Parts: sequence; structure tokens; C-alpha cells
Amino acid sequence: MKNISVRRQNFTALALLLAGAVLFVLFLNAPLYTFKASVYTKKSSNTFVGDEKYQEVLAEVQAEAARYEEEGFEASISETVTERVNSKGEKTSLVAFSIDQTFTRNLWDFMRSSLPSAHVIRAMLICLGLAVIFAAAGCMGTMDTPYRYLKSSTGVLRSVPILLILADMVLLPVFVLMNNVTFWRKISLFNEELLTEGKEELFGKIDRFLFGGQMGDKIDTALKNLDMQHSRLLWALLLFLLLALVSAIWLRHGRLKNTILRILLYAVVLVICVVTLYPYYVMLVSAFRSNAETLDMYFLHMFPTKWIWSNLTDIVNRGVPRFLLNSCIIAGGATVLAMLCGIPAAYAMARMDFKGKKAFLGFVIMSQMFSPVVLLIGIAQLMNNLHLYDNLLGLVFVNAAFNQAFAVWLLRGTFIAISPDMELAAKIDGCNTAGSLIHVLIPMAMPGIVTTLIFVFINAWNEYTISTVLISTASNRPITVGITQFSSFNMIEWQYLFAASLLATIPVVILFMAIEKHLTGGLTSGGVKG
Amino acid sequence: MNSKKRKRSLEPYLWLLPSILLIGIFVVFPIIIVFRLSFSEISKAGIVGGFAGLDNYKEAVSLPAFPTVMKNTFWWVLSVVGLSTLLGFIAALLLNQKFKGRKIARSILIFPWATSLVIQASVWNYIIKYEYGSLNNVLLNLGIIRQAVNWRSSYQIEFVWECAVGIFVTIPFVTFCVLSGLQSIDEALYESATVDGAGFWHKLFSITLPLVRPSLSVSTVLNIIYVFNSFPIVYTMTKGAPANKTDTMITFLYMLNFYDRKKGPANALSVIGFLILCFCAGIYMITVMRKEEETL
Repeated sequence: MKNISVRRQNFTALALLLAGAVLFVLFLNAPLYTFKASVYTKKSSNTFVGDEKYQEVLAEVQAEAARYEEEGFEASISETVTERVNSKGEKTSLVAFSIDQTFTRNLWDFMRSSLPSAHVIRAMLICLGLAVIFAAAGCMGTMDTPYRYLKSSTGVLRSVPILLILADMVLLPVFVLMNNVTFWRKISLFNEELLTEGKEELFGKIDRFLFGGQMGDKIDTALKNLDMQHSRLLWALLLFLLLALVSAIWLRHGRLKNTILRILLYAVVLVICVVTLYPYYVMLVSAFRSNAETLDMYFLHMFPTKWIWSNLTDIVNRGVPRFLLNSCIIAGGATVLAMLCGIPAAYAMARMDFKGKKAFLGFVIMSQMFSPVVLLIGIAQLMNNLHLYDNLLGLVFVNAAFNQAFAVWLLRGTFIAISPDMELAAKIDGCNTAGSLIHVLIPMAMPGIVTTLIFVFINAWNEYTISTVLISTASNRPITVGITQFSSFNMIEWQYLFAASLLATIPVVILFMAIEKHLTGGLTSGGVKG
Repeated sequence: MNSKKRKRSLEPYLWLLPSILLIGIFVVFPIIIVFRLSFSEISKAGIVGGFAGLDNYKEAVSLPAFPTVMKNTFWWVLSVVGLSTLLGFIAALLLNQKFKGRKIARSILIFPWATSLVIQASVWNYIIKYEYGSLNNVLLNLGIIRQAVNWRSSYQIEFVWECAVGIFVTIPFVTFCVLSGLQSIDEALYESATVDGAGFWHKLFSITLPLVRPSLSVSTVLNIIYVFNSFPIVYTMTKGAPANKTDTMITFLYMLNFYDRKKGPANALSVIGFLILCFCAGIYMITVMRKEEETL
């Protein structure tokens, strides 16, 4: 009884898979791409619209158009008029007639052409064919075996179609985009003479594809006003593939929900990662381009044509090592100071009971609320009074103070989580409070301390606003302020800006990744739970 | 005995002293300075005169750009905090699933958090340039668009971009806060709910949300404060131009004080910002303290 239902299900899935594939192949015959090209142009100079000369040329063009119509093409005449004034001061105009021919191409035409996208559509057909073959092979003799008893070899045979069809679903947009690049981007770049390399070859291919190779030398004019549109029906192909995918999953697992959710999960995570990494890709790639390439609107490559390593030496000569050193001093100093003040406070909060404990906690949390920015003016004034203006030490103090709350908070959580027994034992052995803190608690709390340390360091390293206000001498700038020297009002040296940014970012990202585990382990919960 | 007891009662305060001094001098003192200056007459050169009453406040509120700036600040905080909380929460739910490459995905998501805001803002500034920006370039090269798009055709759109960058850099913080909350949830709860026949949405609303609410509320309040105080994104991308139309309160008061030299109104604005933050801080304290009482 059960086996019959399994058999029926397998049979349905296989049939649906096949149906998807067949529909896909049939749809390749549909005229999905529409092209419009000027196959004939004629200029008539020094005319007025409607005068004799104009009529003469128009008649000629119409005759030519009629010839095209006879051959069975759809042809329309369009004219462009350019006004001009001749040497006598008379207004004349230049009328250019062109016969626009509209025709369609289906995907088989693309496959048979020598265009770059031809390979993609071939690959898609091969994948689809293989998917059907594998699915069929995976069902041979196992049509009525329940899913949980499938042999692993059969499982593999039935899994392959899923991957192949997924690949097809990725390849379809690739195909569409490749055509867009060829017919939109490349041709317009060639027409504007911004790109010359490989023009002959590509235009030859297009000539063979669109005009059967008849255009020859005239291909340049023919492609001047080329327009390409693809029908929205093209995406029906994706639907057929989806049908095939769903049946393939059904065939493999006997149920759909989990696998589809899984695929969706991966897709979304992939999108998140790509979007997140995109600015870093831009930073990396632009840091090694020449200035001309960073400002090139028609830059055709994903990576620099030549990696300019001298950008790095250039920024070294423009003070970046000094900025990095300043940042190290500020962030390092602030971290040390924040820990020196924070560890005792956190210790008292974790281990001692006293009046005003709650008030101090409130005080600490309250101070966490104020980023230094809203108090910018007050801090600037204070630094002026303390003679710490334009001084790295001033930044050390400010960064330490504004990270103090965070440090106390995290450290207190760490200390509370450690049982006080060991310290009590040390005290019985004659150790005083400070000794038990240094010799017993701190070594045990090292992971938490390192996390806090890195956190304060990163915050201080990335600080920008206070530094712009408090630092006026160029040689005292930290890196976050230093990089702005590459972007003055009228000229931005992007390649240097990004090279310096890269140097400023890499160490911090590495540090952050080192404490990633502790971040999930409890930034808030660790702190809040206490 | 007596002296020992007194020593013990004094000791904790000694341990706290360095921390109190540090916060006192560099956090509390500037607050006092800002308050004092906001009620004083100040010349353009910064020389402090006599008591000015509420004149500085009146001048600040009557500045022509003031309503725009307040409106911008409101939308800036609302959109950045709101959307980054929503998206960060979804990202955390996804990254809490078990799948291959989860560790890598989490590490990647840290990047925007670890990067200095001024660097992030510079990169995005380059990305959305019309003439040669990377976004146009990539989309053109991929054949997704036909013609270069002017991504910053008006100041409203530029402001939207600023918010988008703000959201982009804020998401990781929310995600990791929520992840830490999610990890403390007992798997058994979900299992028993599944046995009881609860669906995905039911489990989300009756188990996940209530249990991560503390993490979520802490991250939200902290975000309100960080985002309100955020300076580099707006300053790097538009500098508030044109005519303060894209300014938020922080960039506005910076320009007012250091470029226009209107120190009185700038200090008054600082105090207004400070009071708004105090209000948020109060809410935060109440939430945290209540939780504190629950756990202690």
C-alpha cells in the first residue's frame, strides 16, 4: 500500500521535472529579444524641411524602405534635423534619414551565434539535460523504495539534479546580463570611442548574428542607434526552472519545506554577506588603482588593470605612519588608563558591599549615555584650560573617560561570574585584597579582561569627532582624522584615501574577529546579567 | 576593631576613586561648562561675558535652520534605529540557525561595526558618486542599468543615503546583541512548543520575542544614543549642505560653534541635546535597573 503511494509520488515528481525541462526547451523558440537597427542612412545637407531637395531624398529613402518591406522586414523611416547657419548667415538644416528595421531573435539564435552569451545558454541546456538524465538514473529500480531506505548512491544521483537546476537558475540572469553588457554597454562605449580594443571582433560577431554578416563595413553605422529589448516573458523560463527544481527536491526528499527553506536561508545569507563586503571590495580595489582609474566612469574591470603598489609608499611619505602611531598611542594609552581605573572599580562593585553602590552604578550608566560629541564644546573648553589642547594626552583622557562606563560594566560582569572562593583562600594564606586581585582574580578573568581591552581599544582607535576638534597640528593627528587630508574640497585623491583607510581598518577588523565569540557570548546579557 | 570597621567602610570608595575622578573631570565637568556657557554672553572670539538668561536659547530656537534640523534629527534617529533594529533582528534569527559557513557569515557581519564611521562614510561617498562612482560602474558593467543613474540628485535623496549608511553600520550591533539573547534561550522550550504543535510565527511571538526583549531594549536605547550622537556620516557625506537641509543636531551645532562662531546658541543647543539624551538615559536606567533587581 505504502509502496504504491511512494511510486505514485516519484512518478509525479519525475514527470513534473521532465515537463519543466520540456517547457524550457520549447520556450527557447519564442521571439524574446527585439532589436531595432538603422540598416540604411542617407543625409541631405543644406535643406529646409519640406523643400525640393528634401522631397527628393525622402523619395529615395522611401523606395529603399519599400525594398526592405518586400523582403519581409518591418521597416520604418525616421529623420533627425540639425539646424545650422551657413556662411551667408542663412538658416539651413541638415536632415538625416534612416530606415529602422525591427526584428526578433529567439534563444536558439543566440545559442548558434558566436556571441559570448552563447556559451551560457549552451551550458544551461547541458545542465538541464544532465539533470533529467541523473533524475531518471536515480529512479531506476528504486521507484517504490521509501525515501528513508534509499541507498546513498541513489541519494547522490537524485541530489545532483537539484544542484544542476540551481546552477541553471543562476545562469539565466547571467545570460541576460551578458547580453545587456554586449548590446547596451559595449556598443555605446565603442560608439563613443571610449573603448577600441576588440571592436572589430565583437562587431563582426554581431553582424553575423543580426544581419547574417551582410553589413560588412556598414556595421558601424548600423549599430549607431541599435536598440535591444528583451521581453518580460523571458522570466517565464525561470518559472519553468523553478518547477523543475521543486520536483527535483520532491524526488530527493519526499517533502519540500525544509530543503526550500534551507536554500532560501543560504540565498539570504549570501546576499547579506555580499552587501556587507561590497564597501570593503571598493576600498581594497580603489586603494590600488591609479588616480585616473578611480575617476574613470567607463572603467570596465572589476579589478585594477595594474595593481599600483606605489600608492602605499606614497601615503607613507605623506605622514600616514605618523598618524597610525598617534592612533596607537591614543588608543593604547586610553585602554591602559581605562583598565587601571576600571578594574579596581569593577572589583569593588563585584566583591564589596557598601553604601552608594547603586548610586555609583547609576553614575556609571549615566556617563555611558553621553557620547563626547554632544559635549564637544565643553570638552574643547576644558582642554584649553588644562593646556591639553592639541595634545595626544588630552585624547587619551577623553577616550578613557568615555569608555570607562563600558569597561566597568563588562569587567564587573566578568568578575561576578567568577566564584570568590579562590580569593578567600588566598586571603587566608595571608594575601591582602590588592594581592588577591592581582594574583588570583585577574589571571582567572583574563578572557573577559582581554575582550574589554580590545573593545576600548577599538572604540578609541575609531574615534573621529573629538580628535578633529582637539587636534590642530598635522603631526598630532590620529589616522581617522589623517585620512581626511586626502579629500580636500576641490580634489579627492581616492586611491590614497582608501589605501590609508585600508591600513586603518585591517588591524581593527582582525582584533574584532578575535573577540567575536565573546560578543555573542554576552555583550548585553553578560553585562546586564552581571 | 573599631578602626578596622571604619577602614573597611572607607575601602570601597578608595577602589572607586580613580574611576570617579576620570569620569568626573572629563565627563561631568564638560557638562557643567556647557550649561554655564549656555546661560552666558559669549563673544565670537569665545570671551565669556555676563549672565544672559535664556537669550541663547531664544536665539538658537529662532535660527532659520532650527526646525529643519530638528525634523532631520527626528527622522534620522527614527529611521536608523527602527530599521536597523528590524533588519538586525532578522539577521540574528538567520545567523542563529545552524548551517555551514555560519562562522564566516558572522565574522563578515562584524566588519561594518569594526570600521571607523568616517571611513565607512568616505567609501559610501565614493560608491554613490554620479560621474565615476563604483555603484554606477558595477551596475553598468553587469548590464543591470543602461545609463548611469544620479544617485544623489536632490538633498532629500542624499539624506536618505545618509540614513541608509547609518542603518548599514548599526545593524551588526543589533544583530550581536540579539544573538547573545538568542543563545541563552533553552532549546528545550522550542522542542516542547513543537510537540504542542506551535508554528513558526507562534514560536517567534511567544518564545523568541519575550526572551530576547531585554537584549533588544538595551540595544535599542543604546542605539538611540549612539545614532543621535553620530557625527561622521552626515559630516563626511554632505556636511549638512545645502544650507543645513541635511544637518542633524550634532553636525549643526558643530558648524554653529566652530565655523559660524555663534557660541551662545551652539551651547544652548548642546544643552537641549543633552536633555533629550537624559530623557533616553532615564528610560534606559529604569529598564536596566529593573533587570538588575530581577537578577541580583
